[in-house]
Amino acid sequence: MLLKLERFFDRFSDIMGWIAGVLNLVMLANVFYDAIMRYFFKSGSIALQEMEWHLFAIVFLFGMAFTLKEDGHVRVDILYDQFSPKWKATVNIAGTLIFLIPLAVLIINGSIWFVKEAYEVHEVSGDPGGLTHRWLIKAVIPASFIFLTVSACGFIVRNINIFRGVEAPPEHHIEDDVL
Amino acid sequence: PADAAPKYRWKLAMTWPTNFPIFGDAVVKMADMVKEMSGGEMEIRIDSKNKHKAPFGVLDMVKAGQYEMGHSASYYWKGKDINTMPFTTMPFGMIAPEQYAWFYYGGGMELMREVYDKHGVYSFPGGNTSNQMGGWFQKEIKSLADLKGLKMRIPGFAGEVLSKLGVVVTNIPAGELYTALDRGTIDALEWVGPSLDLNMGFHKIAPNYYTGWHEPATELQFLVNQKKFDALPKHLQAIVETAMKFAAYDMYARSYNDSAVNWAKIEKEFPHIKIRTFPKEVIAAMKKVNNELLEATAAKDATFKKIYDSQKDYMKKVRKWTEISDYTYLKDNL
Amino acid sequence: MIGLVMFGVALVMLLIGFPVAFTFGGVAVFFGLFAEGTQIFALMPHRIWSIMNNTILMAIPLFIFMGIVLQKSKLAERLLESMGFLFGEVRGGIAISTVLVGALLAASTGVVGASVVAMGVISLPVMLKYNYNKKLAAGAICGAGTLGQIIPPSIILIILGDVFQEPVGDLFKAAFWPGLSLVLFYVTYIVIITWIKKDLAPPVRLDEMQGRKKQQILRALKAIVPPLVLIILVLGSILTGVATPTESSSVGGLGAIVLAAMYRQLSVKMVWESTLETIKISSMVFAILIGATAFSMVFTYTGGDWIVEDFMMSLPGEKWGFLILSMLVIMVLGFFIDFVEISYIVVPILAPIAANLGIDPIWYAILVAMNLQTSFLTPPFGFSLFYLKGVAPPEVRTTDIYAGVIPFIILQAIVLAVLVVFPQIFGFPAN
Ligand code: NA
Ligand code: NA
Repeated sequence: MLLKLERFFDRFSDIMGWIAGVLNLVMLANVFYDAIMRYFFKSGSIALQEMEWHLFAIVFLFGMAFTLKEDGHVRVDILYDQFSPKWKATVNIAGTLIFLIPLAVLIINGSIWFVKEAYEVHEVSGDPGGLTHRWLIKAVIPASFIFLTVSACGFIVRNINIFRGVEAPPEHHIEDDVL
Repeated sequence: PADAAPKYRWKLAMTWPTNFPIFGDAVVKMADMVKEMSGGEMEIRIDSKNKHKAPFGVLDMVKAGQYEMGHSASYYWKGKDINTMPFTTMPFGMIAPEQYAWFYYGGGMELMREVYDKHGVYSFPGGNTSNQMGGWFQKEIKSLADLKGLKMRIPGFAGEVLSKLGVVVTNIPAGELYTALDRGTIDALEWVGPSLDLNMGFHKIAPNYYTGWHEPATELQFLVNQKKFDALPKHLQAIVETAMKFAAYDMYARSYNDSAVNWAKIEKEFPHIKIRTFPKEVIAAMKKVNNELLEATAAKDATFKKIYDSQKDYMKKVRKWTEISDYTYLKDNL
Repeated sequence: MIGLVMFGVALVMLLIGFPVAFTFGGVAVFFGLFAEGTQIFALMPHRIWSIMNNTILMAIPLFIFMGIVLQKSKLAERLLESMGFLFGEVRGGIAISTVLVGALLAASTGVVGASVVAMGVISLPVMLKYNYNKKLAAGAICGAGTLGQIIPPSIILIILGDVFQEPVGDLFKAAFWPGLSLVLFYVTYIVIITWIKKDLAPPVRLDEMQGRKKQQILRALKAIVPPLVLIILVLGSILTGVATPTESSSVGGLGAIVLAAMYRQLSVKMVWESTLETIKISSMVFAILIGATAFSMVFTYTGGDWIVEDFMMSLPGEKWGFLILSMLVIMVLGFFIDFVEISYIVVPILAPIAANLGIDPIWYAILVAMNLQTSFLTPPFGFSLFYLKGVAPPEVRTTDIYAGVIPFIILQAIVLAVLVVFPQIFGFPAN
């Protein structure tokens, strides 16, 4: 049951990674295109220039959920490495409940007004030809922390499974792909 | 007694960094005056953008009550509310003395009140930079054709005017501006005037310094949360208002002085810098586009039309007097 | 007072091993709630927003992507191996190459997160493959990756230009020689230490069995060409004005894809894996920035900035005493707080004192910049250390990285001391 639940959460985080991954490539093309158009064709659009950082923001904000699932957030491992799998699972469960989720909840709660205000006044970019509907990109802040919280639930479930011994502790590291 | 603990502790968020000359000094002056005039009853803590990290979130933070006060510029909120734009300065608009006359005796304050009431804040004049420069250009602009394809960093409404004339308006973060202008990533940029441009070092890499057209009288603003202000006792309200007005006036004098002093320095140390004015043809085209854009906005928004008309009518009246007094005097005595 | 306690608590909590980003953020939550209530966290969206639209930071994912594509297509590996080979009998050739490539990256951008991670992805696996000492490898990467802050263009110098109210261009010029001497010191150090301790870095020999030496050299030269072209493209796009330093990262990213194609290493799978890897690493970096901004928000809003300010005010009013003490204080603060906070909280207090003492502001700004870039390397809160750990294989422990950077920190202190005592060497007015 818990293993099934874990797979559900993992799927969710993978989708976040998929979105961020696609947008990362789009951003690469966008930045390059803007530079080339300006230099060689003496033309440019503020909307496209703004699109660059909109994409950039979504990439790293949505990516946080995926990175948590991949256990890619860096730790100080001086003591952590010495812990048994059960202890590691305990640290992860406690840390997620005490640190991560409260932080996410406070940020989500704190950004509701921020987004609502932009929505109500129909905020747009202040620059000529800039992007409209600014509340959408502002809403990425609470959205990304909601997604992070969902991923954090999956992280807890996985660590419960590890604690119970029904799942092997992670041996696969993101660095294995890099190497 | 002056050394008693203050009964009112306010916080002010400003758009500028710590120790920012002129703009930041005006804020410090205001806060110091409030403390002294109130005999220590009221204190205002100033948070720079380095502390709150939200230079363009000042209106939001004052509106939400996270800060009682703010110091910024009204046209930064153009994207939130187009009607805030005219309270800073307008291209081909009034010069500083004319604009102050409009604010205090020509209906400007009332209109500003009307616009900002919607946001639950009061806005007050916050200091004037006086006429800003048109920017640093690598090449001389000899005709309208020279604007076509010109890559320039010029934000906001002025950027919109130039983009209609074929300028490639480019957003570049402040930290990369120097490199961008130096290497030709952009051909021109607009900053403030000698008072603040000197530290950016643009005079070392671009020889043409154009006179201004787009910000003849940039007025900063003090923002005050309405609920917080209304809750102050009457005498403290008067003190805060007086301090803001004094600080604004003081900043205008200070900007004028610093521009003069810094320009003298640039002229002496960098004699190759040429002060240039845009050709008549270019100015005429800018004016035409500017008017078209403003008329179009006024047609869409009744409040904007009211402000635009008020400024236009007042300028007609006040410019006559400027012409008879200052203009004639300068023309005959320069 | 709360600020000081916060530091202590964060330090202890970090040791437990929960991810750094959320530990910083979580500690901020507790102290923030305790001192200010939930209201203070309504400031967080503004702080995250300012990271979102800081377009200079956009170079981080793009340069990381470039690094990973180079790494996955084995082009980077060949470059470093060949350079190690070309250095011939010089031990530590790959470490030296790492420093040189790091210096080139530094000259094209000023974003430490991007260069440390890119170098970590590119050269750490190669050095480990050739049995380099883990500590030396980690130290060289962190040291070289952090050069971006002192070799212009650099974010620290831009911020200091703002704080000191000095033209950024002047600071860029002034930082050039001090930055280059750091490179020189690093290389010299690696040459000497690997010569003394022979097992630190075995020399690289590329299949000595096949072919003659001449062919080997030719092959090595061939391997150097593609990455060199890439570096020329990135730097060239900046120097010719085609791109801003930030935009040059996209030239690097696309260039890496084109090179991979030319060397028949390109596939959809490779690009997709690279972009996912980029997401993981970039999000790791930015999560730290978000956690750290929550931490510094609570620190400053509970009066931490005033504590620091009061302390700085009590520094001596005599030139040498002030110089030495202010440098020491910045270095010690650098163990705990990041350079942006130091630049804006501490430096504005020091700058006018320095000016009063007749200290050349540009020189002093460069001293501060040198000192601040060291803060990226000093344990426990050195950002470069976190970034490298984030991409290092598990056998490279945090302790390896901590120990590995110490010699490089000492080298920086030496260069700093030389800059203080003999400013004329670097083109500053003599004392
Ligand atoms: Na750099
Ligand atoms: Na540090």
